[in-house]
Amino acid sequence: MTAALRYEWARLTTLRSTWWITGISVVVSAGFTFVVAMLIRLNIPTELKGDVSKKDSQFFLEAGMTQFSNVDPVFYLIAYAIAILGILSWGHEYRHGMIRATLTAVPDRTSVWSAKFITVGAWVAGAVLVANVLSLMCTLLWFGSLDFHYDWPELGISIVQRMVYTVLLTWLVMAVTELIRHQTFALVLLYLWPLGVETLLRAMLAIFGIFNPGVDDSARFLPFNAGGRIIQDWSLTGGFDPGDGLFGNPLSAWGAFIIFGGITAAVMALSLFSFKTRDA
Amino acid sequence: MAVIQARGLGKAYKGKTAVNNLSFDVRPGTVTGFLGPNGSGKSTTMRLMLGLDNGHGTCTFDGHPFAAYDVPMQHVGALLEAKPFHPTRTARNHLRMIAAPNRIPDTRVDEVLGMVGLSDVAGKEPGTFSLGMGQRLGLAAALLGNPHTLILDEPANGLDPQGIRWMRDMLKNLASEGRSVFVSSHLLSEMALMADELVVIGRGRMIANGPVAEFTKQSSANHIKVRTPQAHDLAGLIGQRLAGQGSVQAVAPGELSVVGLSADDIGDMAFDNQIRLHELSTVQASLEDAFLELTGGSEEYQAHALAPRPPQQPYGQQPQQAPGQQPYGEQPQQPQQAPGQQPYGQPQAPYGGPQQPQQQAPYGQPQAQPGQWAQPPAQAPRDGGDENAGGQA
Repeated sequence: MTAALRYEWARLTTLRSTWWITGISVVVSAGFTFVVAMLIRLNIPTELKGDVSKKDSQFFLEAGMTQFSNVDPVFYLIAYAIAILGILSWGHEYRHGMIRATLTAVPDRTSVWSAKFITVGAWVAGAVLVANVLSLMCTLLWFGSLDFHYDWPELGISIVQRMVYTVLLTWLVMAVTELIRHQTFALVLLYLWPLGVETLLRAMLAIFGIFNPGVDDSARFLPFNAGGRIIQDWSLTGGFDPGDGLFGNPLSAWGAFIIFGGITAAVMALSLFSFKTRDA
Repeated sequence: MAVIQARGLGKAYKGKTAVNNLSFDVRPGTVTGFLGPNGSGKSTTMRLMLGLDNGHGTCTFDGHPFAAYDVPMQHVGALLEAKPFHPTRTARNHLRMIAAPNRIPDTRVDEVLGMVGLSDVAGKEPGTFSLGMGQRLGLAAALLGNPHTLILDEPANGLDPQGIRWMRDMLKNLASEGRSVFVSSHLLSEMALMADELVVIGRGRMIANGPVAEFTKQSSANHIKVRTPQAHDLAGLIGQRLAGQGSVQAVAPGELSVVGLSADDIGDMAFDNQIRLHELSTVQASLEDAFLELTGGSEEYQAHALAPRPPQQPYGQQPQQAPGQQPYGEQPQQPQQAPGQQPYGQPQAPYGGPQQPQQQAPYGQPQAQPGQWAQPPAQAPRDGGDENAGGQA
């Protein structure tokens, strides 16, 4: 396993695209926060001064730190940008015929598979952490004069929520890429499914729900819909929206984690089985 | 030093057998060539040996399967793809990446880059490399761990003549150090110079396995060339001497091709019977002759000769049909048999191969029945009376 981790680390860090995608994701995330914070500061300067309540501090700092991803339905951009690394991690293997070189360097397929998920998962988690810290700094650059109540453990939980969501999303697309062995198609799926397919399904369930009460609520179990609740459940950090039980409507963060994580785990299990049994 | 032992290797794709129960050994200290027509299963076999494809059978390297080694590249080096690298990862980084899990120091990376002549482009992205440079980088990767065994799939593809010679010398040198080298190639002339042993397959089945010299020795293309103004008389004498154990054939006016007798025998016979000889020489079958003879009919994808076409006519003119030429839409002509040309003797059985390959009559001629004399054509021209002298013992 150590050998596979060494290989995967070298593979990941010796590719230019890794650094470009990571750098752009982090810079765009922090830059987006900087610009939005600046616009807010310049447009409503008089209302943002003095002491800020604990609840408002929590909401505002978390929003700035996490690129406003706690405001539904804001798309958590960095997760979808950095997850491309996951697609490329498998896509390059099959697109460039690298998989045979990989398996002649490290023949243990389970180790190769595990090392990829561990290494890429750790990398994207680190990128999210850096992006959030930089975003918080950008927020404070414009609003540093305000007297916020800083609850660092709660802010830390917010970051962990984003890291978990991003890692699960990355693992899901990695597993899908390994299964279909086509990075372009996997890339299309990464955006088409949550933005297109699930939106369409939600709309259909909403229409159907007009005549069948309760049906539209089931949309919360759609994979990406559920996944989004991991980062949008503020009750974990003492915020609003305590929810209605583990799998209530809306889903709790833990319920969302079980559903999105469960789907991801299932696809990953299929991927591992496929990787071990199919020809390289 | 390690021996490669492949036993019962097999693989089928959707019910179609690609590799069928292949067993062979590759001995240390030898270069073993792996030959077969396109689509015969060579690359699949190599992947099976390394556990990259799922199939039947086992393959061990020094008694261990490839996957059992902790640092496999220090035991087995493999080149399976023409360009097995990411186009934007530098050549040095590519090698560092595959060296990392195999506990190979970075100094070795620069060493092998120097060995394959890529030091100057070590920091360049291989996406811009030519096919030959890509092959060199692949070879560098195979050599990285200084392994006791090398498995190389078409390593000479894309190499220039200097590169081919370099690769040949290097592989022979590596083998002379006691390593096992298993290499596939379509360059038969190159294989003839490089390989000590051969494994020949067709349609996934073993056709032959053994030393190169034995392989070519069994070819029916080995013959004695005789030029004499008394070909008819000599052919008759030779036919009697052969007594069913060879053949004699007139291949041109005053020229015979003899299988089954040595040049000494024929020379003595001519001397004893006062027959004048202009030439008496032994013609050795090339590896290509032997390969084509053995694998005839076992190609997965066979090309066919184009039917003869009349030359393009100017517009508005009727095409003029050459005498004997068939217009389009009619049956093409059968190839004409050279006057006096007769088939060689019976095809030789392949050596060492468990399956009988499909044998083709030499030069496209119908085969004579065993023990049957092939008679000269009844109305053959008799220019000097010698052209049709021939027979088959």
